[in-house]
Amino acid sequence: MQLAIENVTKRYKKGVVALRGFSLDLKPGVLGLLGPNGAGKTTLMSILATITRATEGRVMWNGADIARGPDALRSVLGYLPQDFGVYPNLNAAEFLQYLAAVKGLDAATSARRIDELLELVNLTEARKRPLGGFSGGMKQRVGIAQALLNDPQLLIVDEPTAGLDPEERVRFRNLLSDLSGERIVILSTHIVSDVEATATDIALIAKGTLVAHATPEALLQQVERKVWEWVVSSADLTQAKQQYLISSTTRRSDGVHARVLGDQPPVGAQPVAPNLEDAYLFCLSQHRAGVPA
Amino acid sequence: MNGPRALYHMVRADFLERVRRYSFLLTLGFAVYLGYAVYAGQVTLRLDKYSGIVNSAWLGAVLGLVSTVWLTLIGFYIVKNAIQRDRQTRVGQILATTPMSKSFYTLSKMLSNFAVLASMVLILALAAVVIQLLHGEDAHIDLFALLSPILILGLSAAAVCAAIAVLFESLPILRGGIGNVVYFFLWMFMLSMSVTAMVPSHPVSWLHGLGDYTGIAAVMGQMHAAVLKIDPHYTGASSFGIGPMNAGATKFLWTGVRWSAGILAARLMWVGVAVALALLAAVFFDRFDPARGGWRSEQKEKPSKKPLAGELALPQAAETGLREPARASAAHLTTFTRTGPQMRFFALVVAELRLMLRGHGWWWYAGAAGLFIGCVASSLDDARSGFIAAAWLWPILVWSQMGTRESQFSTGALIFSAPGAVPRQLLATYAAGVLVAMLTGGGLALHLLFTGDFAALGAWAAGAFFIPALALGLGATTGTRKAFEAIYTMWWYVGPLHHIPQADFMGTTAASSTPLRFLLFAVVLVVLAYSWRTVRVRYA
Repeated sequence: MQLAIENVTKRYKKGVVALRGFSLDLKPGVLGLLGPNGAGKTTLMSILATITRATEGRVMWNGADIARGPDALRSVLGYLPQDFGVYPNLNAAEFLQYLAAVKGLDAATSARRIDELLELVNLTEARKRPLGGFSGGMKQRVGIAQALLNDPQLLIVDEPTAGLDPEERVRFRNLLSDLSGERIVILSTHIVSDVEATATDIALIAKGTLVAHATPEALLQQVERKVWEWVVSSADLTQAKQQYLISSTTRRSDGVHARVLGDQPPVGAQPVAPNLEDAYLFCLSQHRAGVPA
Repeated sequence: MNGPRALYHMVRADFLERVRRYSFLLTLGFAVYLGYAVYAGQVTLRLDKYSGIVNSAWLGAVLGLVSTVWLTLIGFYIVKNAIQRDRQTRVGQILATTPMSKSFYTLSKMLSNFAVLASMVLILALAAVVIQLLHGEDAHIDLFALLSPILILGLSAAAVCAAIAVLFESLPILRGGIGNVVYFFLWMFMLSMSVTAMVPSHPVSWLHGLGDYTGIAAVMGQMHAAVLKIDPHYTGASSFGIGPMNAGATKFLWTGVRWSAGILAARLMWVGVAVALALLAAVFFDRFDPARGGWRSEQKEKPSKKPLAGELALPQAAETGLREPARASAAHLTTFTRTGPQMRFFALVVAELRLMLRGHGWWWYAGAAGLFIGCVASSLDDARSGFIAAAWLWPILVWSQMGTRESQFSTGALIFSAPGAVPRQLLATYAAGVLVAMLTGGGLALHLLFTGDFAALGAWAAGAFFIPALALGLGATTGTRKAFEAIYTMWWYVGPLHHIPQADFMGTTAASSTPLRFLLFAVVLVVLAYSWRTVRVRYA
């Protein structure tokens, strides 16, 4: 099972370039796709999900070009788009039955699987309620269920935890970890902790190009001895932010504890263990400064 | 809040949002087409055997009638989406949190609608000048005589149409497809009020002008009087419509509309009516309150007696302290033996049919059943020329979903990422639409089978295949339900109801029945829908 993205460029009307010569090879596991707004993540997901086509380059699924024969991939694809709708007059089970029919799934097996998926996403009790009355988080869980409907080999999820409460978010993370064994999972999100909890690989993307592709451990190694905790007064914080790259701040009784990223620590700063958010911000700042990852 | 400035920016923003969409080009294209139709002699005005010499006054009158009659019909369907757009883009939720009053909002939407319609009127005014230069029998351009009917009639009628659109959007029951059908009949009624206001031998009185929404009576009454001067035997017969009716007409000189104070006051009164309607709309406007989202959703959203597990997750956690959320496990999920999509086509048709028929109240099914029984129990003539027309108008809102549902509910990404989804889902939708036609019109089919009238049965079958094809073709290409709801209602009125052979897709009489033509149309429309969707999905 292999997904190869080869030199993909996507150009929209009016000359907007969302992806530029993007290449990536994927094997079973969870790929966390991280990047700032407008980096090209959703465009990449749409191309991989066969919703849109690359302007240049190609995407190969097990050696076959998905633009030429998309159905080979579609039959094993689960896709949860960032923005999707539901039919308000159907209930959750009926909506999943409808999509099972669209995907060409066998009736008896899909009926069993729908029951199991509704249980899995904690919607069994709400299965008979019209989707029009569902909250945003409940609709999102229906979206997760439909993405898993056909037991996909390639699962693409775009901002899957948006709108979920903390408990459901943790539940979904666990589910992704469970699923990752024998399939490729691509998880795009702004929530670094979601990636930290589930991803076996991370791809950083900015301005349509691949900034870094590495394991979480390798990314963390890049910022080893580059993260510092520095206590400053509230009054000095603004100036500190202008001088240093600060990933987070916490107010305490002795002042503001700032996490500073950089090769040279401020005077009085202590080294601390880096986390993935530090690594993400550091890589992006290096990319902006033109330093290769 | 600075009222005039805020109003200006509300109207401006809404107008710019509209004119920067490709669909606005189609709107202007339609106005240009109307101008061309007059130029090419496809839209004609005739008073018995008389037609005017093509001078500024005559062209102005004809284009004035075009603007007031056709723009008030088609224009309504073009502009009836101002509030819907704010709802869909969720801009409405932001506006609802501002100090803006409801009446201010509906008035601004009415003015924005008016601006769109006015731009079409202005296109017609420009076309009038071009037509006279190219085609006029009298080359002298009298700008007042040429433009005054277009601007005075067109703009006042546009104001009313703009306001009615806002009122319909504010009323939950008229917001959707029902409103699109109802407006056609309202338009017919208001047009008939204008025609009734015409008194052939007299100029239109102030009192008659009150019922003359379109201003037709103001123009036609004076034309009747002018013809009476040259032909005392003139009966008052007149026709205005599509077709080369001016061939062989006797020409007379029309010098233009005399804009009396009464006529102008009547036009102003209708502008006042427009403002009043916009303000009335504010009474019904829900200010984007989701709890007042619609008359049908209110009926359905019954509060659940038992709280749902997902909704209680956080309070439970708070009560019991921190705990590990239930571990979701995919290990026990049933795995698939993959099945070819073709094996599930029938299941997909059933799913599409269920989707189409879901969400209607009991009264809808009762009405469909009543019409079915009417087709079976009435005389064959009544069933064929009357009941079937009603039975096949009844499901208009079911058919109008076809080809539009994926864009309306943003489910395209879920559906079109499935294998072979475009042809399978499209054909399944079409098959479900045909089944709806066969079920609702099935009473007539049974009647025809019993009587052995197989020619009429063929016409019935052609109708059953044609109507869903029209819905699918228009839905897939326009992405909106309105196109089918408006065009089908008009076609239904002109064709089956009046038994016009070229347009009677139901074959309501033996003389007007042309089943092969409509079967061919059905094939063309389905192919069009398939091609359009394939291109849209491929090059999204």
